[in-house]
Amino acid sequence: MSSATIINNSRLGGRFFRLSLRWKCGGVLPGQFVMLRVSNSLDPFLRRPFGIYDFSGDVLDILYKVVGKGTGMLSTLAPGTDVDILGPLGNGFPPAGKGKNPIMVAGGIGIAPFYLFAGEVKEGKPSLFYGAKGRDEVALLKDFKSRGLKLNIRVSTEDGSIGRKGLVTDILKERLGEDSVVYACGPAGMLKEVSNIARKRGVKCYVSLERAMACGIGVCLGCAVKTRKHPPASAYRMVCSDGPVFNGEEIDWGCF
Amino acid sequence: MGVFLKPDTSVKLGRLELKNPVMTASGTFGYALEFEPYMDVERLGAVVLKGLSLKPRDGNPPPRSCETPCGMLNSIGLQNVGVEAFIKEKLPRLKRLKTRVVANIFGETIIEYAEVARRLDSADGVDAVEVNISCPNVKKGGLSFGSDPSGAAKVVTAVRKATKLHVMTKLSPNVTDIRVMVRAVEDAGTDSISLINTIPGMAIDVERRRAVLSTVTGGLSGPAIRPIAVRMVWEAAKAATVPIVGIGGIVNARDALEFIMAGATAVEIGTANFLDPASAIAVVHGIEEYMRKNGVRTIKEITGAVN
Ligand SMILES: Cc1cc2nc3c(=O)[nH]c(=O)nc-3n(C[C@H](O)[C@H](O)[C@H](O)COP(=O)(O)OP(=O)(O)OC[C@H]3O[C@@H](n4cnc5c(N)ncnc54)[C@H](O)[C@@H]3O)c2cc1C
Ligand SMILES: Cc1cc2nc3c(=O)[nH]c(=O)nc-3n(C[C@H](O)[C@H](O)[C@H](O)COP(=O)(O)O)c2cc1C
Ligand code: FES
Repeated sequence: MSSATIINNSRLGGRFFRLSLRWKCGGVLPGQFVMLRVSNSLDPFLRRPFGIYDFSGDVLDILYKVVGKGTGMLSTLAPGTDVDILGPLGNGFPPAGKGKNPIMVAGGIGIAPFYLFAGEVKEGKPSLFYGAKGRDEVALLKDFKSRGLKLNIRVSTEDGSIGRKGLVTDILKERLGEDSVVYACGPAGMLKEVSNIARKRGVKCYVSLERAMACGIGVCLGCAVKTRKHPPASAYRMVCSDGPVFNGEEIDWGCF
Repeated sequence: MGVFLKPDTSVKLGRLELKNPVMTASGTFGYALEFEPYMDVERLGAVVLKGLSLKPRDGNPPPRSCETPCGMLNSIGLQNVGVEAFIKEKLPRLKRLKTRVVANIFGETIIEYAEVARRLDSADGVDAVEVNISCPNVKKGGLSFGSDPSGAAKVVTAVRKATKLHVMTKLSPNVTDIRVMVRAVEDAGTDSISLINTIPGMAIDVERRRAVLSTVTGGLSGPAIRPIAVRMVWEAAKAATVPIVGIGGIVNARDALEFIMAGATAVEIGTANFLDPASAIAVVHGIEEYMRKNGVRTIKEITGAVN
């Protein structure tokens, strides 16, 4: 609902882009998101949600993948263009707590919210396990590596072109310790699997969920996910206002 | 000169006076308080709250909404906290708002409709009830009353008896002749009529070969439905003796003025609240500006300009 000006909007490889916006806000939490209007017309009709990749004072960065009309249009916007922005929205990742080692598990573009989070981890030995389809996605790790974080990075690719061949959940199964707290963002199938692995080991697991959104502020009740809560409490929670980060154990994965 | 005076935007829905004709549509404005960070809610003519039922409702399974050309489909299924929790938890904070508060009510049975109205009547802070007999997204109640004149009349009669509050009846576009519905609810004692609710619609995900919404069909809203809504408001206004509230795809002041010129006394802004949470305020400003520019002193001067 405020206006931001594009400073940079460039392709990182494949269908991945990084957008930098000049935008003032009171501050953001890692794991929060914003809603952008990618056009001044009514097409596409609704705003599009994007996780916050980085924020410093008055510059907001977003990492996005072109998957359809809205993201396609976003990728054509030139520096200097003003875009309408609503946010920061949602809850963000809770800290791991004393004596805990945070493990970030990301799939594809799901890497986006961990850049800010990794920078704010103050305690423990943080790791990032990244599952990618191939080279284009692995390129998204560049910033993480150049940042000088004490971050243990492990990569798996489906085609084996870089890192270990296979799924990121294989890495997690091997390296998940009891003193870990897991944070996951990526496709729903991956989140479900990560959540199950963590639950079996008795480890806390936070997942960042996605749903098609209309309002982004908890009023349309459109972005519902089902939880294991029973009546009288409603089983549904809103991804935009109760999430996007949830305790994995609470989610009824049948709704994806 | 009239053009230099502040135009009088106030309107009257029967005995209920609004400071301007801009209201919000139920289900698109939460319980109004959610919008306080984005606008001065008190500048609105009225706020209409999310539909309330006697008992809390879980709503429909996801996916519940999807984007369509110039609009969206929803099948929320009236998820809400129930009238008692509303009165306890939300109403105290709504009471202090210096704008009209309209509670939208829903029941699976006629008795439930009346009971919700009765409880709101005895709770202080609500100015009117909007009776939703037009929700396409619930199995029982809603549209099953709103699609036939005798069912609609029964609900309105029962609500009328249960409350002294202003009764506004919300009609569905999914009827053969809206004028028949208008007369039926008027005869049953409604104080005003709002229309339209969403239009039943459907979208299919061709990759997965299944409906996008869990309920298969949902309600279409947004600018895509506006011409249908304007036409129906125009028909309803000509048939009605009570004031009409126009709803459907309003995004800006010009859209709102279409409804007013078609005969609506007031309007409700729905889906546009999702595009920009401050939409409704922009409509208030836009109407004022239009009046100033065109030397219109009162809304009444242009109400039903097209007949
Ligand atoms: C809280 C949240 C945070 C997000 N963060 C990011 C981010 O940081 N970077 C990023 O690139 N994307 C992110 N997304 C996803 C992004 O919002 C969608 O990819 C985008 O809305 C698609 O718009 P479109 O018009 O290009 O695609 P559409 O034309 O709407 O859809 C094209 C295709 O993409 C699929 N699609 C649409 N939305 C999604 C979705 N949410 N997830 C998966 N597939 C989808 C559709 O089913 C369709 O097949 C996030 C989503 C949420 C809910
Ligand atoms: C997400 C959503 C939820 C809605 N919930 C309700 C509701 O609870 N009660 C009701 O009477 N109408 C409900 N409606 C209908 C709107 O109030 C309005 O009649 C309709 O959306 C058309 O107006 P619009 O095009 O401006 O949105 C809902 C609409 C949407 C989009
Ligand atoms: S997008 Fe409207 S409630 Fe979440």
